[in-house]
Amino acid sequence: MADYMLEREETDKRASALVAPLNIQKSPKRSPSRASSHVRQSSSRGTISIKSQPHSHSQISPPLTPRTSREGLPHRQPAQPVFHNYLRAFYHFHPTSTVSSASTDESSITVPINQGDVILVHSVHPNGWADGTLLASGARGWLPTNYCEAYDHATIRNLLNALTHLWDLVRDGESGHLVVFTKQDYVRGMIAGVRFFLERTQCLTRDSALVLAHVGLRRMRKGLLGDLSSLVKTAKKLQETLQSNQAPVPVFEQLDELVLKAFKLVTRAVRFLDIWAQDAVSLSFDLGDATNNRPPTPPSDAVDPASVQQPTTTNQNDHGAASANGDDVSVSQTSATATATATATATTEELNSVATHQPPRNVRSSVAFSIPSESDAMQSPLLPQPQGQANRSSVAHRLSYTGKSHGLRNQDLVSERLNTAHDSFLGFIGSFIGLHLQSRSSNELTFTTQQSVIACRQLLAVVEQVWERDARRSEQLEQARDMMYARLTELVQATKDMFSASDASLGDDVVMPEAGKQLVAAATSCVRSAGDCVTRARSVIERIGDFEFETVGLGLSETMFEQIGQDAQRETAEEPAQPTRLEPAIETEKPLPAPPTAHRQLPPLIISESKPLPEIPLPSPPEQDGVGLQPVVPVAVDSPTAVSFRSSRSSLPPPNHLPTPHLPQPNPSDHSQSPASATQRFFPKSVRIDSVNASVTDSNSTFRYSMRGDTASIISQPSTRATTPDRSPAKKHSSQTLVGSFGSVSELHSLASEDAADAAAAAEEHLLETTYAHELICNKDGQVSGGSLPALVEQLTTHEATPDAMFVTTFYLTFRLFTTATELAQCLVDRFDYIGDTQAIGVPVRLRVYNVFKGWLESHWVGESDSAALGIILTFATGKLRAALPGAGKRLAELTSKVTEVRGGALVPRLVSSLGKTGVSNTIFTAADTNVPNPIVSKSQLNALKANKEGKAQCSILDFDPLELARQFTIIESKLYCSIQPEELLALEWTKKNGSKAVNVRAMSTLSNDLANLVADTILLLEDPKKRAVIIKQWVKIALKCLELTNYDSLMAIICSLNSSMVLRLKRTWELVPAKIKARLEELKVITDVGRNYAVLRQRLQDHVAPCIPFVGIYLTDLTFVDVGNGTTRQLPGEDGSDRLSVINFDKHMKTAKIIGQLQSFQVPYRLAAVPEMQEWMELQIQRVRASDQSNVQSYYRRSLLLEPREVPQVVKASPPLMDSGAQSTFSADSRILSKDKFEFLGFQFHHANSKDRSI
Amino acid sequence: MAQREYHIVVLGSGGVGKSCLTAQFVQNVWIESYDPTIEDSYRKAIDVDGRHVILEILDTAGTEQFTAMRELYMKTGQGFLLVFSITSMSSLYELTELREQIRRIKEDDHVPLVLVGNKSDLEEDRAVPRPRAFKISQDWGDVPYYETSARRRANVDEVFTDLCRQIINKDQREYDRRPAKTKKGPKNRRGRGQREHRIHCTIL
Repeated sequence: MADYMLEREETDKRASALVAPLNIQKSPKRSPSRASSHVRQSSSRGTISIKSQPHSHSQISPPLTPRTSREGLPHRQPAQPVFHNYLRAFYHFHPTSTVSSASTDESSITVPINQGDVILVHSVHPNGWADGTLLASGARGWLPTNYCEAYDHATIRNLLNALTHLWDLVRDGESGHLVVFTKQDYVRGMIAGVRFFLERTQCLTRDSALVLAHVGLRRMRKGLLGDLSSLVKTAKKLQETLQSNQAPVPVFEQLDELVLKAFKLVTRAVRFLDIWAQDAVSLSFDLGDATNNRPPTPPSDAVDPASVQQPTTTNQNDHGAASANGDDVSVSQTSATATATATATATTEELNSVATHQPPRNVRSSVAFSIPSESDAMQSPLLPQPQGQANRSSVAHRLSYTGKSHGLRNQDLVSERLNTAHDSFLGFIGSFIGLHLQSRSSNELTFTTQQSVIACRQLLAVVEQVWERDARRSEQLEQARDMMYARLTELVQATKDMFSASDASLGDDVVMPEAGKQLVAAATSCVRSAGDCVTRARSVIERIGDFEFETVGLGLSETMFEQIGQDAQRETAEEPAQPTRLEPAIETEKPLPAPPTAHRQLPPLIISESKPLPEIPLPSPPEQDGVGLQPVVPVAVDSPTAVSFRSSRSSLPPPNHLPTPHLPQPNPSDHSQSPASATQRFFPKSVRIDSVNASVTDSNSTFRYSMRGDTASIISQPSTRATTPDRSPAKKHSSQTLVGSFGSVSELHSLASEDAADAAAAAEEHLLETTYAHELICNKDGQVSGGSLPALVEQLTTHEATPDAMFVTTFYLTFRLFTTATELAQCLVDRFDYIGDTQAIGVPVRLRVYNVFKGWLESHWVGESDSAALGIILTFATGKLRAALPGAGKRLAELTSKVTEVRGGALVPRLVSSLGKTGVSNTIFTAADTNVPNPIVSKSQLNALKANKEGKAQCSILDFDPLELARQFTIIESKLYCSIQPEELLALEWTKKNGSKAVNVRAMSTLSNDLANLVADTILLLEDPKKRAVIIKQWVKIALKCLELTNYDSLMAIICSLNSSMVLRLKRTWELVPAKIKARLEELKVITDVGRNYAVLRQRLQDHVAPCIPFVGIYLTDLTFVDVGNGTTRQLPGEDGSDRLSVINFDKHMKTAKIIGQLQSFQVPYRLAAVPEMQEWMELQIQRVRASDQSNVQSYYRRSLLLEPREVPQVVKASPPLMDSGAQSTFSADSRILSKDKFEFLGFQFHHANSKDRSI
Repeated sequence: MAQREYHIVVLGSGGVGKSCLTAQFVQNVWIESYDPTIEDSYRKAIDVDGRHVILEILDTAGTEQFTAMRELYMKTGQGFLLVFSITSMSSLYELTELREQIRRIKEDDHVPLVLVGNKSDLEEDRAVPRPRAFKISQDWGDVPYYETSARRRANVDEVFTDLCRQIINKDQREYDRRPAKTKKGPKNRRGRGQREHRIHCTIL
């Protein structure tokens, strides 16, 4: 048969692109385990006997084990398996026994799927079965992937992603993480998804041409919005429940409801897309060459050429090919059968049967075809699959499946493995490095080295598996892996070197430090490359799906042991080959992993590898009795719903504990079939399978995917027989569950009352707010870390909850760094426009827009840069805002004029710090407070100060109490510190050389310098070392008092000066300073230590409450590095690099604002009484120091040298001859310090000459 | 060796991009968000000639106006990066004073130093001719001179490595001197160190 051969050839080619492991069925005899699994599967209620099934399978299935089929496959196929979060059923699948009764065995639940069902996939077992949740019903169970194809389309992708996200959130919520649900933000993604979807389909507004022209789309659209509104309502309800602190039980039910609503919404969107693709698009779009892009592989073509096939199978394939080609003998047979069936059905429901054709294999292309320009997405195979053997040896999981909730983690998932392997590697290598930095005993060394190497190997093995699994063979990962491998080799080599060295030497326990260093170096670079490798591996996992890791035997590491210390040469030579040797070890020797029976989060898979995938239904089954095709009487009515999608919470809830999803009551009228009800949908559909077969042979070309058929039937409205999950807008359904609401009679009623529905739909359209939620990035803590301006503005004016205070603060403070006032104003106005004026959303958002303007004008207005926006704001206030909210418009208009009048300073004192501290504007001494301590100043002291002012006498710091001096300094400092405006700290304003606006920051640094100079000056002024020592003592006391007052700025200045070279070198003076004082000074030095990034100082500041004057320099450095070390933009996370959008890196601004907030949190005036006389005197002293040309460091140093010349003896003792030889030529012009300079010079010469001498 | 942790101080007037240099050096490439407020923000382990050392970098960028604080910073340093911008002659001149201060506070004329002309990517705005800067570095006692571009991450690691090498060599010299003054080892080490410096002077 030439045709047959042709077909076979094609099949071979296609086999590479297969969606799932196909035809991997074993003959009954070969797989006793399979038989047992079926026994388990069978239900007492099953109508088809257990034994009949193997029989039927033997008829259709070739005796192929997964292994043999794999062997036949050529190595490294070009196919690119990608893990798909969503599948769409391509065939009906109604297992003979859906469930064994839930109570006895929950694990083997297979979920019946109908053609067109969309499934959220949680994991995929290597045998091709997937653990998935049906969106149509919320039922969760195992389903054959070969019945499905990937569902992913740019139009609906956002929505699907949002659904996945929601699912994960709910799963987290079930384990107690409910915080997220107290805000409504989490449904925003869904809204944005719907919006994006409608936008892409050009059905965003009711008036769009497409919607007007197409009745079906109009209805679908209405329904979609109804679903959305219902979802939002549920979310709101949940939010209220949580806020009212009710018991957690109803929350779980609401979570269920939430998910079901979301499912329903997406299901409808999917159908919408079907109609759109089929009809609407063909009206307005040119499908062009979409037909050429048809995905090549119908699942049933997957016949392994290398394997031995049973005649029946061949025959079947033959049939398949024939029916598609339409020229085989069997066609007549097929059509004959089919026609018979068809006529049976056609009599009663001809229209419907035509509408719901079951596709034959090849017609699959029509699905792709139905969605233009997306065929590429359809073409990619579903699963990480048949490349090498290793590829399918484990279950693939959705990456998010691993979840954030800690309790639910599966240790075996590769992502987890990767993490643990990396952690343990870091642990070992950390101790390895640590050990080498300290003591080295060769035993310990050997041990840690081995441990590190083993850990590294394990990590490599995981990475290797990831790489193996990924059909694209990520080059980046490969490079990273090779790099890491090279590093490991170096490490091993270094170890070996060391050991051979130690062997050569006599003492075994002596380890050469040089070798140790090499080891550490090798280890460090190993750590680095491991980090890189892990990052790469993660991104690959994200793409291909998480999967379960096979334990790789430690055989690898054992070889490592051999390497160390032994036969170094040989091993080194062989080593690079290691990674490739890894592979066979995994593949050949490992049996397929035991099915994941112990999963807590999914119904464990008892269908082991031996459980074959069901055969793809064929157009013309030879078995007319239909056993093979399983038109099966439903076994357990409750099965689909019983398999709660909440199965993540525990295993599966026992039936009596089942929450809301009620069992659908058998509906007396079979008109409204609930698809969620297994009972109702099984029968008619299974009948239709045959009818489809018939129609296929009749009309191959006009074949429509059944989903489309369904919707088409809606359009024409001839039949009430709904075959789809939901075809009517569900605006008003109040039923608790999806099951109840779908296809309920009441909805059909509501559909009838068109007018009311129209009105309702009109209102609901507002639900579909324009949103930029997809342009927002949040970090792990839920804080906004990036976003486009519209997205940030949206966050600022969200209607659901009061915006995060820190966010708002940051925004006001920093927006000028990433946008202009004009842009912001325009963006706010746009937000006002697009949100509309609905009561529920529009009005609150509009009020918030007004509030943002108000807050801006009142408290955050910077005339210089913001006045450009005044025009826009005024126009807005007097125009749109006044029209919508007259009062607000008036107020805003007033504010705009006020802002222009008031120059400098905010209209209303702002509360910039999120800590909500009081403003800066208060005067330092508000009133004669009782708490203010009395100044420690005597009459005579005041008199002395007066006399000093009049020039009659001199005062010294020794004349006053150290505490009072510290207080007065603190008051002066505090005044400046509290005046620092946040604007001074933005964008390195204070570092600007010309025209810096950071006047207060500048003044702070000047004051700090002045104080330090004053300290030096007072000390160096005195000739007598004793007197100098007394002054030093006084300053130390003042410093201690500053510390008591938590005035770190003054403290730093004083300590700096006491620590400076000019003071510190006065050895004679220091000898006279009491030991006690020196000890206190040492304590202070520890506090002001700049090491470890001011660790001590930072720690202390954390414990302080205002008032306090921190050392401003820390903040300035932090702000500088935040500015320099963080980019201005960041990229939106996206699938492909090409269309990733760069948005504002708000994280950077948050960091900036956080630092400024810390600074501000201390901006509280001290409750201290000023002594004006003393402050005046201090000012005077500072002025004096500043005015004297002595104030620079060099002159102080000279003075210091003058007072206590360099100690000659040391120099002389060290190298006496040099004194004479070098000193003659140059002398300072300054005669005063001539001798000292000479000494200095000589000292210099000494060192220089000395070193020169050494180098020669 | 007694000490494997070395303290490096980065100095230079404001606006020469020294913080950028430090951030580039310290930052891990795969960290998306840089937080300078934690203790380890300025620590980095590097390998210099097969030695594993930890560098703690003190860069007080932003506090240039707190001139009185300088000595406090300098006290902690074992090696210094003196950074200027090749687009500003004054930024080079200001380093002279800083170097004097370092010599004073360290009471040592051979403190490990590297002179760094940053912003080499802004060649069109160059205000400091290369020979000029090189001359100064020679006058300072054969101090290595590098031109870097923190923005393009050019020569960043090299600068730190060179400085670190100097510190290690110095450390080694002092270490060797202590047990026996007649040791011959240090001579060679030093000689090698100096030669290396000369070579590096021309690297851009």
